[in-house]
Amino acid sequence: MTDTLLPQVADTSAGDAVVERLLETQAPQRRLTAPTFTVEVDGRQFTGRDGQTILDICRDNGIDVPTLCYEPKLPGFGACRMCVVEVEGEDFPPISCSRAAEPDMVVQTQTTRLREIRKTNLELIFSDHNAYCLPPCQNKCPSHIDIPGFLKANTEGNFAESARIFKRTIPFPSVLGRVCPAPCEEHCRRDEVEEAIAIRDSHRYAGDQVLKAQAAGIKAPVPFEIQPKSGKRVSVIGSGPAGMSAAYYLLIAGHDVTIFEKDPAAGGMLRYGIPQYRLPKVEVLEAEYQCVTDLGGVMVTNAELGRDFTLDDLQNQGFDAVCVAIGCYETNTLGVPGEDADGVLDGLEYLRIATLGLPYPGHAGKRVVVIGGGFTSMDSTRTSIRQGAAEVTLVYRRDMKDMPASNEVHEAIEEGARAIFQAAPTRVVTDSKNKVTGVEFQRMKLGAADDSGRRRPEPVAGTEFIIDCDRVLLAIGQGPKLDWLDRGSDGVSATKNRRLAADAVTFTTGRPGVFGTGDVRIGAATVVQANAEGRRAAYAIDAYLQGQDLDAIKTRQTLAEPQPEFLNIVPYTGELKEPRYRLKAMAAEVRNQSYVEYEIPYTQTEAMAESKRCLQCTCEAIGYCDLRRQGIEYGTTLKTLEPQYGGAFSHRSVTENRFTGTNHDYIRDDSHAFILREPSRCIDCGRCANVCKEVVGAACYDFMRTGFDTLVTTPLDMSLNTTPCVSCGRCAETCPTGALMPKPRVLEKYEVDESRCILCGICVDACPYDALRCGPDFELSHDSRAEPMIDLLAISSIDRDTEISWVRKERDWAERARDQGRLIDTGRMLPMLPPGVAGNGHASGNGHSHAGGNGHGPAGNGHAMLDIADGPGRSQPPAG
Amino acid sequence: MNILPGPKGMPTILLARAVKYDAEASLAAAEKAGAWATWKKTVPQVSPSAVTRLIADAGLRGRGGAGFPAAEKWRSAAAVDADVRYVVANGFEADPGAQVDRMITERDPHAILEGLALAAYAVGASRGYIAVRANQTTSLRRLNAALRAAEEAGYLGTDALGAGFDIHVEIVGVPGGLVVGEETTLMRAIENKRAQPDQRPPYPSAKGLWGRPTVVNNVETLALVPWIVANGSAAFAGIGDDTQPGTTLIQITGAVEKPGIAEVPLGMSIRRLLDLAGGARSGKAGKLKAVLVGGPAGGFLPASELDTLYTPAALAEKGAIWGSGSIVVVDESTCIVDMATLLLRYLSDESCGKTIPCRIGVRRLYELGQRATTGLSKPSDAALAETLAADVRDGALCGLERLAPNPFLSGMRYFATEFDEHFTRGNCPAGVCNPVRVVAQPVSA
Repeated sequence: MTDTLLPQVADTSAGDAVVERLLETQAPQRRLTAPTFTVEVDGRQFTGRDGQTILDICRDNGIDVPTLCYEPKLPGFGACRMCVVEVEGEDFPPISCSRAAEPDMVVQTQTTRLREIRKTNLELIFSDHNAYCLPPCQNKCPSHIDIPGFLKANTEGNFAESARIFKRTIPFPSVLGRVCPAPCEEHCRRDEVEEAIAIRDSHRYAGDQVLKAQAAGIKAPVPFEIQPKSGKRVSVIGSGPAGMSAAYYLLIAGHDVTIFEKDPAAGGMLRYGIPQYRLPKVEVLEAEYQCVTDLGGVMVTNAELGRDFTLDDLQNQGFDAVCVAIGCYETNTLGVPGEDADGVLDGLEYLRIATLGLPYPGHAGKRVVVIGGGFTSMDSTRTSIRQGAAEVTLVYRRDMKDMPASNEVHEAIEEGARAIFQAAPTRVVTDSKNKVTGVEFQRMKLGAADDSGRRRPEPVAGTEFIIDCDRVLLAIGQGPKLDWLDRGSDGVSATKNRRLAADAVTFTTGRPGVFGTGDVRIGAATVVQANAEGRRAAYAIDAYLQGQDLDAIKTRQTLAEPQPEFLNIVPYTGELKEPRYRLKAMAAEVRNQSYVEYEIPYTQTEAMAESKRCLQCTCEAIGYCDLRRQGIEYGTTLKTLEPQYGGAFSHRSVTENRFTGTNHDYIRDDSHAFILREPSRCIDCGRCANVCKEVVGAACYDFMRTGFDTLVTTPLDMSLNTTPCVSCGRCAETCPTGALMPKPRVLEKYEVDESRCILCGICVDACPYDALRCGPDFELSHDSRAEPMIDLLAISSIDRDTEISWVRKERDWAERARDQGRLIDTGRMLPMLPPGVAGNGHASGNGHSHAGGNGHGPAGNGHAMLDIADGPGRSQPPAG
Repeated sequence: MNILPGPKGMPTILLARAVKYDAEASLAAAEKAGAWATWKKTVPQVSPSAVTRLIADAGLRGRGGAGFPAAEKWRSAAAVDADVRYVVANGFEADPGAQVDRMITERDPHAILEGLALAAYAVGASRGYIAVRANQTTSLRRLNAALRAAEEAGYLGTDALGAGFDIHVEIVGVPGGLVVGEETTLMRAIENKRAQPDQRPPYPSAKGLWGRPTVVNNVETLALVPWIVANGSAAFAGIGDDTQPGTTLIQITGAVEKPGIAEVPLGMSIRRLLDLAGGARSGKAGKLKAVLVGGPAGGFLPASELDTLYTPAALAEKGAIWGSGSIVVVDESTCIVDMATLLLRYLSDESCGKTIPCRIGVRRLYELGQRATTGLSKPSDAALAETLAADVRDGALCGLERLAPNPFLSGMRYFATEFDEHFTRGNCPAGVCNPVRVVAQPVSA
């Protein structure tokens, strides 16, 4: 073993000694590693190194300690007081970002007391946070349309872009602009100033402009990039709002879609349930449906599920997925004696003819009673007037404000209908020939509120009365026609209240590859709900076709719906009053004669002016905002503004915050070319000030003023242009809220003023698209400077996060929290972008490239004009 | 401010030379009054560690309000390996109503300089700072005159006393509000950085000015040092309270017969302290209602607690603080809620704005008080004030922020009925506030 050329397997300690001696003889050595020690955090043992803070150890080991003011590149600052932790043996909780870890420290990061302190801090921030996350309108919309987004585009007169933003969530802005009950407008914050924005009329105008352009041969805008063909085939059964939405987003996702429609023309309830005077069939419905066929959707009409084909047939024909969106076509029955009498009509059957403006046989001159309070009943009432009925009476069992179609009832009354509330039919009065002569009703009183929040009607004995009539139209709700379930559709079933059984998130039925969505799944609902259903089903089907396990991605699909989170924001103050621009309508006595669309659309000026009224109570930083995230975790934001959750509080101005009081309303500064300052969103964490001074060296910001009025801002609140700002964007990058943001901008040309250019090269480093290069003189000029003022390497390594990475981060955070046993309501988090339709996917900044020196540098001929692409900017909140 | 005679039989230390010499005249006058004698005797005969031991044996605690043992700061600063150490004399009086530190800086600047020199000698510091409010021009002028005289005499400066070490002292006038009196803030201000506090630990004795070990002592603390070194630790430890010996300056103002500043031993009862100022003033305004001990962030003590001993520990137990050494006597014409609100308003306005509990929390506390004094309180306000006060205290960054809810906390502790009347009924028993609550009048037939 001794004499060998091979290296000996020596005693390791001796080897170490040799190494150590060698090292010692080279130079005086610093310790290679800092001494380590053990620290207990939340009952687990971790190794800490000398010089680490408690926060460092927590972060290294995946323990989430919330921070707002902590900037990883700088030492702890200690302004936000969010990272407080409890250290055994200390009276007051220290902040973990500034507290050095010590051997054998025992640390708790999530005690009740700490969470109370953090919650108080967050509520205090929110009490002076004059800003918004997502607007209430967007929350209230079943499809969560980016309402401030398209209104903004409207104000710029960019109606195609407005329609495109709308089409991200619903493909049919014009149709919805006519038939949507506009739940969004009920929660518009503009109402606090004077009156809600006319949101529906605004997208109606934008949609109409697109249709006009379409008539002239310009194709409608497509919301997302159309994906390459996947080769998968999908059949959508039903061409109503749900089916067509599903088809639209499936086509964008690159699948081949065939739509089967039982009727001779596409449209479903839009065509056969909604009267012509509300929704012109050719000009609007067909024109707007063209966007689906333009994308390659194939329409097969006169083909009914169960009658002409079965699910088996479709799957045998090679459709990879089937989406059942057949809607609700069977009217519920009253369940009272005499219902089968001659003259009792199914409202839907009646509407099939009446909505198109065709005379329904024998309707003119009759006394008509319409029973029900929904859209079908309203349409039956109003078309009956137009059909020339002698007298139309609408009867509803609850109060007027509880009517699903309460917004339309005034118009019906204007047009000449009579309305009776709180009465329910007890029997249909007939003559000897079983012909209707009247209906007996019983008065209802309103009892306790039921699950829907409306008061339950209860009959009052002895209050019966009879309304004489010749015809009764039943419009008391519809259910889906499910007789096809017994033929060639094994595995698909109905629920016990006669709906198609399908998952609310993945839309899967019991049969692989078959999905159910829309009214057939949820029962008769509004058009906008059906659209939302269709879109969500499309994303589920797309995931299925990509081979993903739907149950596994159920959470992601749940998150696919933006669930706005409301800050406990301060009530709205100070805005000039500007009344709503109302759509003019024809006089009631004119319109009740005709099927012509009776609302007169906006002019362009009106549309733009109305959209300008929008307060834009949204935040570009949603998804990037740490404050929002922590607000969710600590329950200082509200999940909904619905009154039943907010108790006695107003459902618009959120006053749940314990610490309401005076607040600041600062002025937005958009004077700078790249950085948008919104001081009202500032939480005075000081990160921008510290980074700008310590890392960049420019020192544009600092804490100004004292006390409650302290604000991290530029000197004298001046424009950033007057500070030593170098436009590096570090401040916007570090800002935990939306107070500093990269400015969304569209640039066509850049112009370089050579008399001012100092050849610093920052533009070259910062450009994410390599659109700028160094000229031959660049290196020289750079080297001649003793020390660059700016940390170029640091700037070039800025992570350029995208929507996707932020969404991912939030998901990871939620998962970590769950692992650590902290309860976080995943339903309240950011949406996961649907696969394939993500926004800009520029994932990371490109390094600083001084190579390629023969680009066009700033040398030579006066002002260099450089072409540049659109800036990457943060895009609007992910909407679907 | 008047100088009140101290209790009989007690030695005066801080005010001993207060009127004996003109601080702006020659050094000779000051030396005749006894200044610098200890310094010349001590250095270099007594070793630095012996000086520290002497101070430790004397039981000297910081006079800045917190009462931390001075010698411990010195020891830990001396123990840190560093190229340079600093001693800072904190003469920045945070309490705008107190003139205790000002009394010393104006009347006996040489005592502070001598104490600073001894401290620097004990910890091995070569640089010293004396910081006072920038608008106290008299203090600045006299301190500068004293410093110049001492440097010319060779007591300070390069090769001080010819003993082979340097003590360079600088007098700094620091602008700013209440929070600058906090030691980390004061250091940032001296460094010409943003005057905002930092988290402790690390304490200044480990990482202070420019990251070097720094001893920050109140000017009063340092002014006591020469006397202790001259007279021995036992003499000092024998004065006043057993655990917290020595004398301190207190300022008694408000509804007393003779407001003024007195030098008293620690451990006297507040009632006896008030007697020095002629006792509570009686008259139309009524009797003594409360004393506010410790300055704007201090605590209210009711008349029934006047037997509380004036030591940091005893005061803390009762919800008050030593603080600035100020005692404000309040008679029955005062509404405690109103006064607490006023104090909160001041504290909120003086906040540096760095942390959220301080910037917004203290403001919200003030607003709660404001609502109470105008009869606009909500039923939940009383509980809310308590919660918020506790959360501000526990989540605080600096000492001043931690103390800021004190007027409310102590007020609600001793004057619960009065607060309750404001919060729930919109009444002001003292008749000071203007509750605007409208009470429905019965319509008589």
